[in-house]
Amino acid sequence: MSKNGGIDRSGSDLLDAFADAVLRWPERAAIESPEHTLSYQQLAFSAQRLAARLGDRPGPVAVAAGHHPDTVVALLGILAAGGVYVPIDPAFPVERQRQMTETAGCRLLVGPGTSEHADQLGLSPLELHDSTDQAPAWRTTVVAPGDPAYLLFTSGSTGRPKPVLTPREAITATVGSLRELFEVGPDDRVLQFASLNWDTCFEEILPTLTAGGRLVFDPEAHSASFPRLLRMVERRGITVLDLPTAFWHELVLHLTEDGGRAELPECVRLVVIGGEAANPARLADWSRLAGSSRIRLLNTYGCTETTLITHAVDLLGPRTPEPGRHWEPTGRAPIGRALPHVDELLTADGELLIGGPAIATGYPGLPEATAERFVLRDGHRWFRTGDRAARDEDGVLTPLGRLDHEVKIRGIRVDPAEVEAGIGAHPGVGATAVTATTLAGRAALVAYVVPRTGGPDPALAAELLLYLRERLPGHLVPSRITVVPDLVRTASGKVDRAASHRLHSTAPR
Amino acid sequence: MSLDMPVTAPAAAGPGRTPDPVEALAAVFRRILELDHVPADGNFFLLGGDSLIATRVLSAVARDHGVELTFEDFLADPTPAGLATRIATGSVTADAHRIVAGR
Repeated sequence: MSKNGGIDRSGSDLLDAFADAVLRWPERAAIESPEHTLSYQQLAFSAQRLAARLGDRPGPVAVAAGHHPDTVVALLGILAAGGVYVPIDPAFPVERQRQMTETAGCRLLVGPGTSEHADQLGLSPLELHDSTDQAPAWRTTVVAPGDPAYLLFTSGSTGRPKPVLTPREAITATVGSLRELFEVGPDDRVLQFASLNWDTCFEEILPTLTAGGRLVFDPEAHSASFPRLLRMVERRGITVLDLPTAFWHELVLHLTEDGGRAELPECVRLVVIGGEAANPARLADWSRLAGSSRIRLLNTYGCTETTLITHAVDLLGPRTPEPGRHWEPTGRAPIGRALPHVDELLTADGELLIGGPAIATGYPGLPEATAERFVLRDGHRWFRTGDRAARDEDGVLTPLGRLDHEVKIRGIRVDPAEVEAGIGAHPGVGATAVTATTLAGRAALVAYVVPRTGGPDPALAAELLLYLRERLPGHLVPSRITVVPDLVRTASGKVDRAASHRLHSTAPR
Repeated sequence: MSLDMPVTAPAAAGPGRTPDPVEALAAVFRRILELDHVPADGNFFLLGGDSLIATRVLSAVARDHGVELTFEDFLADPTPAGLATRIATGSVTADAHRIVAGR
């Protein structure tokens, strides 16, 4: 980390912007949690101590990414050392975690009290907190913009987690744009809502910690009780909420069903949503809530491969409608317009391609998948999003659907083929088709399974559900598994997921 | 319990009888999960529920019973019968558990 970096200066690294914030606001609270508050200086010291123990360029480092300020210390420490942050969800099945750390090539697991966990994964534990209180010297690990910053996993068709490697310049460019977009400043208190195992959390952590704002951890955020969540937001004076759209839909339902009793806390100025298109009916509900007109409701769009957020637009609130714009987000929710660091291109068939500094390095170890999605055009590298979109005259994109079968479950990308691979590994399964449908008002996975024996197998559905829960993360486990005598196939013999769903979804369960 | 053949829920309380809290909660499960039948011991998560729509159960409990349960309370026994017991005994944990939604 260098002390002479400047915010947004060309060629500067993300950590230079953090170092500047530490110099400007050393005593200010950087992270608040029920247990303690960390000032900018304390946070920097902790991160630097970890960096010193990791040594220069430690390579990919696994982090047991619990929802705790320690995980932010680990993130900053690894970046300061020039390493690659690889978050591992301790709640995932151990086999899945092992696949992730193996694929990433990790040797170390960082966290508080991780020795047993590290044993399970075949890694060496590195205790996050050492016994010394000594302030370390500022490190000067020299990093290049193209050096990798973090490695995350997204859904792949093979049944194994698919790694995405993101360079430092991508996160630096994106965070610069997001500070402007969110207008984050030292008076902001940003709730740390997103899981620290997904990239979304970086859009909460990094704009805040490079702008002098305060990141707030509180378990009430995840109590699943909206009355508790709203009281906590009020008590802690939260100004910015960044929520998965699916969760925001539930919040709006709660506020609407509660009539006039539930209120939006007055301290909130910005609600960021993203992950899937906002439901127009919920937007209409939101617009009728008392106090919602003073809150910016900002829609965001982006992929892991294009780093957090590439497009955004204010859907409702004080910034809408923009002057001269005919604006009806409650008719059909738009994606947004490209942020300053983003290049975009719509192909002849409407696919959105993203270029610029924020695209990922690729899928390490998967050259074919990388070549398929990261393409060269006119001498520039572009990422094929797989999303079709239409562009209005003012640059705002509206979604037109997917080019492939990928679906979003609770805002997380899922390739149905990965779930099918998981189900197909069970010895009792002959064939399977997985697709997403609307169940209970939200997107959910449904699976149709033909038993290997061919005959009826009444216990198979329940058995499969338990089998999958032991092997896959929750968002990959279908909400419904139905045992059927056959699946619909195309002329070429491939399983037709949509037709199989149409045939069997109305069958008595 | 088979997912394909859920056991029929106990009969609803007849006129003049005190509404059965278990049946009332089974009705909440049926509405939220869009199912015709939910048994008293039907597990919310095995019937297709997830952490996201669990919020609707907790909101309904808060509205109908004035009790603010946490996700951890719910996880301890996520069935109509289990939830009814928890509401009746008021045994509510102090520490909230975590659901973390990704994107």
